[in-house]
Amino acid sequence: MSIGAQFYLTTILVYIGIDIIACLGLNLQFGVAGIINFAFIAFQAIGAYTAAVLALGPPFPGDFQHYVGFGPLPFPLPILIAGVVGGIASLVIGVICLRRLRSDYQAMVFLVVSLMATTVATNTNLVGGAAGLSTVPKPLYSNLGLTLVGYQWFYAALTGVFAIVVWLAVRRITNSPLGRALRALRDNEHTAQSIGKNVQGLRLSAFIAGGVIAAISGALLVLFISAWAPPGWLYPETFVYFTAVIVGGSGNNLGVAVGAMLVPVLFLEGARFLPTVVNPTFIDGMQWVAIGALSLAFLWFRPVGIFPERARGPLTDKRGGQIEWVRAMLVRAR
Amino acid sequence: MSQFVASIGFGIVTASILALAAVGFTLQFGVTNVLNLAYGGVMTASAFIAYAVAQAGAGLALTLAVGAVFGGVASVALNRVVLSPFIRRGIGVFGMIVVAISVSVMIDNGLLSFIGPSFFSLPFNQGRSFHLGAMIFTALELVIIGLSVIAMLALHSALRYTRIGKAMRATAADAVLARGCGVATGRVIDLAWLISGALCGLAGVTLVLNLATFDTTTGTGFLVPIIAAAVLGGVGQPYGAMLGALVVGLASQISTLVIQPEYNTAVAFVILIIVLLVRPTGIRSEIGASRELAT
Repeated sequence: MSIGAQFYLTTILVYIGIDIIACLGLNLQFGVAGIINFAFIAFQAIGAYTAAVLALGPPFPGDFQHYVGFGPLPFPLPILIAGVVGGIASLVIGVICLRRLRSDYQAMVFLVVSLMATTVATNTNLVGGAAGLSTVPKPLYSNLGLTLVGYQWFYAALTGVFAIVVWLAVRRITNSPLGRALRALRDNEHTAQSIGKNVQGLRLSAFIAGGVIAAISGALLVLFISAWAPPGWLYPETFVYFTAVIVGGSGNNLGVAVGAMLVPVLFLEGARFLPTVVNPTFIDGMQWVAIGALSLAFLWFRPVGIFPERARGPLTDKRGGQIEWVRAMLVRAR
Repeated sequence: MSQFVASIGFGIVTASILALAAVGFTLQFGVTNVLNLAYGGVMTASAFIAYAVAQAGAGLALTLAVGAVFGGVASVALNRVVLSPFIRRGIGVFGMIVVAISVSVMIDNGLLSFIGPSFFSLPFNQGRSFHLGAMIFTALELVIIGLSVIAMLALHSALRYTRIGKAMRATAADAVLARGCGVATGRVIDLAWLISGALCGLAGVTLVLNLATFDTTTGTGFLVPIIAAAVLGGVGQPYGAMLGALVVGLASQISTLVIQPEYNTAVAFVILIIVLLVRPTGIRSEIGASRELAT
């Protein structure tokens, strides 16, 4: 394989890995716990900024970019601390936004949080303002002594390792009693509460777990691309992940991983190969219109996604479907 | 002190625009129970239609009228073509908000595709200025304030004193019961989208009249104060939204005395957070937690 093709392939692999991590995090919040977090991308951005600032260290005198920096810290720390910061941010925002309100009302507030986060990051010098941060050093690049393309393969493998760890963690949560409780409150909040589940606490824990994962995905992304700025995490970016989760099958980790491979990469990368027509932003805009149309199409024709969530528990038949009388009861209860 | 009074003047202008937008937004929710996140996109689209008309030589009145009509028609179309079919398919509030954001992304980026990232401004100058104590209003600002006051009074009388307004309030309170009592809820809902859409279009045009420049993201960027005003007033409550708009509009302008003007949307955000912490349902009434979506 030529160097160029290897370069492209490894870049796509890293993106796929990061998108899978992000979508697993979003699925935990949206697919499993029923939280419509339209500010998901802001948590990815928090992770990215944290990792970038920690990898960069404080700005030197006369530095062209202005930000508040610490460190620099050695390799795994920026990513791990990014996860912690993402979790803390999720706790704060979750406590405020996950009040006992209708899910769409929460979603609207999250959208405002996302719009606001962009405004704050753009207009302050906390994390580089509108220009963002750049020249973020690649982790272990000088220590490993690899060629440029060799390092690409290393980073793809690193992302793969993180993706596997996140996958195992998320699977552990979704298969545990916690996951069952989350699904119960997603399907019927009042029933879950009536059997003694702490609805607020459960929802908040899923939200924090998702926030940590989002921040880790952002940290991995920024250390790979070396730069991060507000235009890269506007509110529609969250929507790409939502579409990926819906297309793959919300609530189903495997489906979501497939969705993460299909939607962001296929749509956002595919457009790169189209010629420029009408004006330079035409293709740019149209790929978003296409993602919107894709999401609407799935919500209309197949809201359960390509791989529907499997029904679980003792009251299901061999193929994972609900037993007929259970289904009848559920319909009546509704 | 005179600076303070002057900032109240700016606040009144902002509040007037915000009132148009927030009342439209909240009315859509009140009657149909749909939180229409594509609202900002429709505002922007109306502004661009108005811009095209103004470029073709239309006067201020015609430009505003075209913006309002477009906003109304586009909102009815949005409901008939996308939102209402999804509701009839039984999607529920959970999926509906994702549908709404899909539409929002599609409108914003559809506009970006055809218009591009350039900045535009409407070709109307501010006119002569009038002094009211320390407050200074330009002729254009007085038109905006007047328009907003007239729209609010008209909406108030329509809701309060006409049969159709009564029908609308009945549908907002309980669509099934209203239908049972012989209210043609389908027609009422169309009308609600038309009226709220017209307010949305009007808000879009007045917003860009008041701004030096605008682009394809202007309307969605304005969603923060709109939602803050609507939530403060209690979503679904037109009178609450008017009050909310006044509070958010004044607060965001008065705050510029102490903080940089770039942050005045942050003031709206802070108000929203305080409301969520203290009284999540807003000043007026509860939001309908168990209500059905109305087609």
